Amino acid sequence: MSVRRIPAGLLTPAAVTAALALLPVGYLVVRSAEGGLDAVARTLLRARTLELALRSLGLAAVVTVLCVAVGISLAWLVIRSDLPGRRVFGILAALPLAVPSYVAAYTWVAAVDLEGFAGSVLVLTLCSYPYVYLPVAAALSRMDPATEEVALSLGRGRAGVVLRQLRPSAAAGALLVAMYVLAEFGAVAIMRFDVFTTQIYTSYRAGFNRTPAAVLGLLLVLITLLIVVTESRSRGRASYAMRGNPARRPPVIRLRAGTRALALAWSTALAGLAVGFPLAGIGYWLLNGSSARVDLGELSGAVGATLGVAAAGALLTTALAVPVGIIAARYRGRTATFLEQSTYVGHSLPGIVMALSFVFFAVRYVPAVYQRSPLLVVAYAVLFMPAAVGAVRASVLQSPPVLEEVARSLGRTPLQTVRAVTLPLALPGVLAGAALVFLTAMKELPATLLLRPTGMETLATQLWAETGSGAYAAAAPYAALLMLLAAVPGFILGRRSLKETS
Amino acid sequence: MRLTVTDVTKAFGGTRVLRGASLTVEEGDLAAVLGPSGCGKTTLLRIVAGFESLDSGSVAIGEREVAGLPPERRKVGIVPQEAALFPHLSVARNVGFGLPRGSAERVEECLELVGLAGFGDRMPHQISGGQQQRVALARALAPHPGVVLLDEPFNALDRSLRVSVRDEVRAALKRAGATAVLVTHDQEEALSMADTVAVMREGRIVQEGTPASVYAAPCDLGVATFVGEAVVLAATSDHGVASCLLGDLPQRADGVAGKGRVALRPEQFVLRAPGEGVGGLVERVEFFGHDAAITVALEPGTVIRARTRGDVPHRPGDRVGVTVEGPVLFFPE
Amino acid sequence: MSLRRLVAAALVPLALLASACGGAGGDGQSFDDNSLVIYSGRNKNLVGPLIDKLRTATGLDVQVRYGDSAELAAQILEEGADTRADVFFSQDAGALGALSKHQMLAPAPQELLDRVAARYRSSEGTWVGVSGRSRVIVYDPRTVVAPPKSVFELTDPKWKDKVGWSPTNASFQSFVTALRVVAGEDKARQWLEAMKANGAKSYPNNVEILNAVDDGKLQLGLINHYYWYEKVAENGPNGVPSRLAYLPGGDPGALVNVAGVGMLKGTEHGEAAKKAMDYLLGADAQKYFADTTKEYPLIAGVPTAPGLPPFDSLKGPEVDLSKLDSLEQTITMLQDVGLV
Repeated sequence: MSVRRIPAGLLTPAAVTAALALLPVGYLVVRSAEGGLDAVARTLLRARTLELALRSLGLAAVVTVLCVAVGISLAWLVIRSDLPGRRVFGILAALPLAVPSYVAAYTWVAAVDLEGFAGSVLVLTLCSYPYVYLPVAAALSRMDPATEEVALSLGRGRAGVVLRQLRPSAAAGALLVAMYVLAEFGAVAIMRFDVFTTQIYTSYRAGFNRTPAAVLGLLLVLITLLIVVTESRSRGRASYAMRGNPARRPPVIRLRAGTRALALAWSTALAGLAVGFPLAGIGYWLLNGSSARVDLGELSGAVGATLGVAAAGALLTTALAVPVGIIAARYRGRTATFLEQSTYVGHSLPGIVMALSFVFFAVRYVPAVYQRSPLLVVAYAVLFMPAAVGAVRASVLQSPPVLEEVARSLGRTPLQTVRAVTLPLALPGVLAGAALVFLTAMKELPATLLLRPTGMETLATQLWAETGSGAYAAAAPYAALLMLLAAVPGFILGRRSLKETS
Repeated sequence: MRLTVTDVTKAFGGTRVLRGASLTVEEGDLAAVLGPSGCGKTTLLRIVAGFESLDSGSVAIGEREVAGLPPERRKVGIVPQEAALFPHLSVARNVGFGLPRGSAERVEECLELVGLAGFGDRMPHQISGGQQQRVALARALAPHPGVVLLDEPFNALDRSLRVSVRDEVRAALKRAGATAVLVTHDQEEALSMADTVAVMREGRIVQEGTPASVYAAPCDLGVATFVGEAVVLAATSDHGVASCLLGDLPQRADGVAGKGRVALRPEQFVLRAPGEGVGGLVERVEFFGHDAAITVALEPGTVIRARTRGDVPHRPGDRVGVTVEGPVLFFPE
Repeated sequence: MSLRRLVAAALVPLALLASACGGAGGDGQSFDDNSLVIYSGRNKNLVGPLIDKLRTATGLDVQVRYGDSAELAAQILEEGADTRADVFFSQDAGALGALSKHQMLAPAPQELLDRVAARYRSSEGTWVGVSGRSRVIVYDPRTVVAPPKSVFELTDPKWKDKVGWSPTNASFQSFVTALRVVAGEDKARQWLEAMKANGAKSYPNNVEILNAVDDGKLQLGLINHYYWYEKVAENGPNGVPSRLAYLPGGDPGALVNVAGVGMLKGTEHGEAAKKAMDYLLGADAQKYFADTTKEYPLIAGVPTAPGLPPFDSLKGPEVDLSKLDSLEQTITMLQDVGLV
């Protein structure tokens, strides 16, 4: 694609999205500046800052690499091998998305003597590998077998050529994982592993001094942007991935008996550890506490509130992501790059920073929505925008641009073309992105606590309240329901990853 | 409507793709833009359609300058390489895409025009490649565009299908009375389909004319060899006569005297009995049914390929004499 | 196929509609200017029933926003003069002190302040403690025969890698403040460094430390007393192997901290706020703290729950809980030692 002007009908909403996503940065700048240069320097130059930044980066690197390895291996087994029960494993592979990382961390700490770096790596990898599995599985099933056959005919193995083709989708997933780990707080705190966000939380919790927290938040934004820019450079220009010949499906590869047993063990272990284990943990809570009680009114209220705000969040996020995603897929140039990359900022910040920035702006400029659900929904949109933008971008890239050109030549304006051609074709992928946002929003805690309407409780806030007083048995129904409800979109995502093959 | 492209230039980064391309297509004509890949012909087409902006020059459809207009306001129909039907819409809705609602009649009319009446309810993946291409044409013609642009539309088709689809497309364009531009690198396609041919090279249109005139009177040696097979020999010209190893041959037009080259078309060679003309040895006979190609090694040391009627009396190893019929093309150095 | 297009076209307005509807109602109670809004840093499970009693007893229309004390304090600071909170009910004195320092709290009526001993309320009269909790050492009697009598014993090599603490937790930080007051800056710093060198393990909160001791992962832990009683209530006496050691002799490890309330300066419901605070400092609520949350009531005449050592037997150090500046020095020290 050449550098063309982005039509105003796309640019305007995309600019609104970018502005929303950058709001927290504005807040951080205001709060950092308040403290003066001295305070900024003092925070940045503290030895602990560097130490924790390196720890966070180390954790993010290890978890990302492991997620890529797990995600690719599982996707390959499910899509390309004759692994017994691969359809079931394909669905199970998406379900860890339904497990809140803090619940997983609790159950691991309670059951196994595992904590610190190793524990954090384990829990975060098990909870976030689907971010890599899903796009890689989709890419694997779309892959044109011809390139593989050429590699084989030239006496090369198929692994090299397959991996090279998986790079864009794996990198997109890896980026989400890395950012998720950088912003993560709950699970690592339970694993007793201090990271960069620990310091941000501590600054808020203990110091009541907002300058250090803001400075650290800005540093986190910078680190994230660095990673985002690196990823987009590696993505390069070869981003147009056309669907392969639909009549030609990649061949299923027969595993040898030994390999197959190993593969079966590996897939079973992953499903067991990532999904079965937390479920068992919740069962244990339920059986071993006396606080077990179910207030049906509270429970159904929490379910209703959770579904309501998460669904609204998914819809708004997707709606805001569509213009940015289309621009990212179809236009080049600084504006397009800026718009896409700005949406990653929100995702990189811990929930509390995000939430406080929304408190700051809402109270001052739109008090009418403060502590009302629209504000919470907007905050979800900022937090989860990257996943939605990525889904839109990837699915738009799958249809050739010439279709849009034909539509234009037939008299449709750019916006009419988006509505009549681009969106309908990208719709399945866009909806998958919405499902991902939906289940992530259901689990969200820190921003929900600060921004929800007074009196509203979601499953996540109830779970937080019950576990906070040690009432694990009372927490169990909330945890179970949360995982069950989140498993529905998880199931849909998992099935979709299989559907493309059959 | 008449299409006038004047002095269009376009560069991508530092690469100058179009260097002052000009082209005129009269109303109702089918013009072929013929050129090797990379000559800029697709860019020219995209500029006419409005998918790319031009750096300088102008594009007019009828009396209307369209260079600054977005694609949707140009009234230009497009038939892309691989049909590019909207996969989520039925054939009828594809054809009706550029029409206001409730234009079912026009849709049916256009489907009839391309010989696909009754196919409206099918989905694009349910019809063959050739049919898809014809639906794409119907879709482009439906809104009565000023110009229809066809971007190598037969490339994706099988050889056997190509000729018949080509004929159907030409017939449909003519029935619709449309002004059309066909971009292609296939000279046979260009010469056989088009009313006029524009030969493009390195970002410029180097020659425009009827297929016969471009073939018979190419403006330079490059065009001569690109629009058709030719044997090129060194020659010296003097007063309308070119002397080469096949003898002194009359030139098609008087030109500058001096050294240069002649281009001889295969059908200009006449094989005769040994002793007449220049002697040679038949090396190979390719029989096509309606005609044949005979490769002859001339005694002075050059190989030629001659086209003759199908009933060839010669066999490889036969000795023959070769003469040249008709005026030849001379290009001074 | 037309359905698909329809869905796509509907996506954008639907999202806006959904979020707009979400705001108009359908979730929780909608915001009502006439209600008294309490920001509660105390857990909903623990104080929810008390708030219900408060509603019945006072007839007030009360709405509660539950959260983490420090996060709610940060939220109030961001809200500034436009805060939606009328009353802040904090888990610890530090968060109240922060709001007081930023001039966010209004003076409480003297009559209310006077019900509580001076050391359990703000010296500026901006907040007042409503319940007391003692710092204790939780130990595992299966491995520990003689629990330590002072936090200073914890640096002994025999406790290497056996002690759990929570440097990011507000109640722990109050304890460190007490340590600095009692032992002096240098000694406090040395103690923190020695503890770190002795392999003290950091946990995010008291509950996690208690669980680790019960699971046998730790032998000792520094926590607030009532977490243990809550866990006994949840798991039964046999479900909690650990025991508590109350430290004698003014040891900083025996600091008595408070949960307290303050009224926001900008409140338009001053009378209602005072009524609520009056209720929390009344016999009903104080009895609730004693019996249900196993804390120490702070007003005279309300007995401590059976099974707890009497309030006047606790020999904590004398520390002014309202001195936030002192807390900031504590944070700086914890940062210097590399604990937070």
